[in-house]
Amino acid sequence: MKPRDATGWLFVLPAVGLLGVIGLIPLITVINYSFFEIFILDQRFWVRLEWYAEIIRAERFWSSFARSTLFSMLVLCIQIPLGIAIALCIPRSRIWVGLTLALFSLPLLVPWNMIPSLWLSLLNDETGLLGRAMGVLGWPAAWKDSALLTWIVILAMDTWHWTSLVVLLCYSAVATIPAPYYQAAAIDAAGPWQVFRHIQFPRLQNVLLMAVLLRFMDSFMIYTEAFPINAGGPDGASLFLAVDLGEEIKAFNYGPSAARSVLYFLIVLSVAWVFSKAQGKLDKAQGGASG
Amino acid sequence: MRLPGIIKTLALVLFAGFTVLPLIQMTLLSFTATLPQPGLEVGSSTWRNYTTLVTDPALRAAFANSIAYVLINICITLPVALPAAYAFSRMSFVGDKHLFLAFIAFRITPPVVLTLPIFQLFSALGIVNSVFGIALAHCLFNLPISIWILQGFISAIPKEMDETAFLDGYTRPRFIWKILLPQIAPGIAVTAFFCFMFSWVEVVFARILTTTNGKPISMALNALFGFRTDIGLVMAVTLASMIPGAVLVFLMRNHLSRGFRVGGS
Repeated sequence: MKPRDATGWLFVLPAVGLLGVIGLIPLITVINYSFFEIFILDQRFWVRLEWYAEIIRAERFWSSFARSTLFSMLVLCIQIPLGIAIALCIPRSRIWVGLTLALFSLPLLVPWNMIPSLWLSLLNDETGLLGRAMGVLGWPAAWKDSALLTWIVILAMDTWHWTSLVVLLCYSAVATIPAPYYQAAAIDAAGPWQVFRHIQFPRLQNVLLMAVLLRFMDSFMIYTEAFPINAGGPDGASLFLAVDLGEEIKAFNYGPSAARSVLYFLIVLSVAWVFSKAQGKLDKAQGGASG
Repeated sequence: MRLPGIIKTLALVLFAGFTVLPLIQMTLLSFTATLPQPGLEVGSSTWRNYTTLVTDPALRAAFANSIAYVLINICITLPVALPAAYAFSRMSFVGDKHLFLAFIAFRITPPVVLTLPIFQLFSALGIVNSVFGIALAHCLFNLPISIWILQGFISAIPKEMDETAFLDGYTRPRFIWKILLPQIAPGIAVTAFFCFMFSWVEVVFARILTTTNGKPISMALNALFGFRTDIGLVMAVTLASMIPGAVLVFLMRNHLSRGFRVGGS
């Protein structure tokens, strides 16, 4: 049992101070703005919850919300199992591990605003490697007219960009499993599924929870990468939540953009709360198993 | 090789192919002349994009800015994250669970939500258009994730080590500095690597905080897009921007492959 006293606060104080200044103060500012009509920052009118009511009533908000939710779910369903599978496939020999991990992390090092450009040039029907090959297979040059094909491209791009992070995190956890565990499993003639279920998966849980959280939230609020692919089109089919907010900020609509920011932060908070509940459950289960 | 081995290798090769395909496209384009230039036909292969990259002062400054703000970010994040990670790993205090939740909430808050007030705050503080501003803003997502990663490394060190050191008369800060720090050196390296990775490629804060000066690579890339975009040059700059990270991953490969327990208590 850890000793329970206030010394801990001394150690977290620098972090609390830093995040207080660059996180909490801006957040409070946004909350404050969200109740005002603001033309210029010195001149403002109290409008109570008007902006919130406007956003909630707009059909556009709910359709963006639905699209972002669907997108995040698809991202999780693809990237998490794929990430685990690839992490488990990585060979055990030292040299190969290093090389594969280094190779797989390359997409994570591309500046985010260049990721759509990379994929658009890859899919270019005249000069792109994939565009030309897919053209032969019947991929239409005018794929931007199709909502389905646009979604496939954005999903492929996001999978390319982020699955490596899931792989890195999962591999790091699997690599800490001591060899005797596997030897014991081999003596018991355990199959690959049993090894995964009883040896690898328990080690993965903590990391997976964080991977799911990061992937869910970052894809739910995807901004820089998704918009340039098809400018939100066709017909708004790839307009996600963060795009709406970005447009209001660009138009200097202080009040409405602040209200939208607060709504998004409430979503963030509820997701973080679910995460901490899950983490607590996991800690309890693991504490129970070991103690 | 047995059948599972073959399937595993095949899966890895396919995934590696998927990973490098856009990068091959990028490399090919970066060696191609994509705008008509004197003495060069469009589509012919050339080194010129790379010579432009080396000689253009704006692009050179962008590389210097990116390296500067990432280093400053790491220098702020690590010393602040380390004691916090130690506290979350070893101590129990009133509100610890809630505090961790608050930290995580800031990590997953999309930058676009806080762009406006952060711009105003940083203008008031006079750190807009400087590498220091970006470095500070990026702590918003790097600090929580660093605490989370370091916490895993610290938790992997047996608690008895703390207790023995206290019996030997070490104070907590001296114990962290003298004994714990050398033990978790790989953890520090891994954390610094993740800070680099998330910070180097970020664009939302980088964009709003650098309107005139201090532009990092991602913004220099944005500036290259225009009425007639030289996509070959864009790809050359992108490729060059990945080199520091690739070198870092290669140096880190043993730390990463040895595995680390992240999170958990």
